[in-house]
Amino acid sequence: MNAPEQEPTEGLSPEALELIDTYFGRVHGALLVAAAGECEDAMDDLRDHVLEELATGAGTSADVTRVLAELGPPEVLAARYADDTPADEPRRLSEIDSVRLHGKVLGMPYDVRVPNSDRIASRWWNPMDPRVFVPRVFGLGWDINFGALAVRVHLVRPDDEDEPFASVPDAVITATLILPSLLVAVTLAMMAIAWPILPASVPSHWDVFGRPDQFWDRGWLVAFLTIVSVGPLAFAGIVQLRRRIALNRVAATAVATFMATLALSQFFQTTSYVHGAEGMVPTFAGIAVAILLPFVLLVVLSRIGRAAEQRHDLHKTTKKESV
Amino acid sequence: MGTDTDSRLSQFRKGVVELAILALLHRGEAYGGEIVETLGGHPGLAISAGTVYPLLSRLKKSGVIDSAWRESPVGPPRKYYRLSGTGEAEFDDMARAWAGVTEAMDDLLRNGRTR
Repeated sequence: MNAPEQEPTEGLSPEALELIDTYFGRVHGALLVAAAGECEDAMDDLRDHVLEELATGAGTSADVTRVLAELGPPEVLAARYADDTPADEPRRLSEIDSVRLHGKVLGMPYDVRVPNSDRIASRWWNPMDPRVFVPRVFGLGWDINFGALAVRVHLVRPDDEDEPFASVPDAVITATLILPSLLVAVTLAMMAIAWPILPASVPSHWDVFGRPDQFWDRGWLVAFLTIVSVGPLAFAGIVQLRRRIALNRVAATAVATFMATLALSQFFQTTSYVHGAEGMVPTFAGIAVAILLPFVLLVVLSRIGRAAEQRHDLHKTTKKESV
Repeated sequence: MGTDTDSRLSQFRKGVVELAILALLHRGEAYGGEIVETLGGHPGLAISAGTVYPLLSRLKKSGVIDSAWRESPVGPPRKYYRLSGTGEAEFDDMARAWAGVTEAMDDLLRNGRTR
């Protein structure tokens, strides 16, 4: 989650990179709505292909324009991909996929590819895909498609936004980073304050009855919680700085919020043990809050996007009527 | 056997769902839930919200349909879909092609059964 990109983009000018990013941003936007997710694998391959093509030349903006022109307009390309994707049966794609880095084992989906913002976004917020549980972005199991969940509880409709969060003001999307930043700041500050009172050895694992059964050095605990909270936040920051599409930026922030909340709850779990309390209340409460916070964030932003679309359309209608 | 039939049906359906949506919007504009409900009322099509919404979005991207938020007589504003100019032409083409196919298939199936 904290290793943002792995493409061989060295040697390309910032303008050339921006051209590629813009192109794939548009393909992705069109694909997301056209194929109910899951198409990002094909897009990753295509992006690799483009970068390989460019690796043989100077990689100037002119080269990029030429290579991208061969692929055609982004929306047309996306439509072609979407036609090959069974949008009504998104499950089937993973079943027929034979790439070993992701697939299914004992009926459970797995994915060990380095996560990228496209993949995260299409799994975490896809209100058009009715599946609440979607293959996990990284690891074994499932992630929650908060978009489907929001539709289930009637907080949003699948077509509320033409493109997720695209109508949300840019400043608001950037400001979402405040939430995980605050959580990480609180976690780091509390660890610094608690350091002197932490015993040298603290629990690293609890059994099913909520009793600690493994221990590690307090330094490892602090290092671990720092990495799992700061890493995703840094990733979200990079996605924002790279001006990815709104959906990717919001989803990366949601993931950072999720991870920061879990880290904070693990810190509380440890300190509650140090204070002699039993049980795993902090962990379970942490999981609940870690799910709730990104959910609320995503729904609120979707509502803001919908309101902006409505204002635009309804205003137009009123103007027409008054003419 | 059942799975084979299912996948064959789903292949049929894929091509038909788009035409079904265009046919519905040709009759007049409709909002998403209405489209899902109306098409869902035809069990033979086996259409669900998971099929309709991505398709609506794709049709909108390709300019076949337009959408706009409008006040609803009851409840909150809704996003209404309607055929664009190109959509109307596309629908005419598809409907004509479909009529040709069904006529030919009806004929073939009928002859196949009576023989």
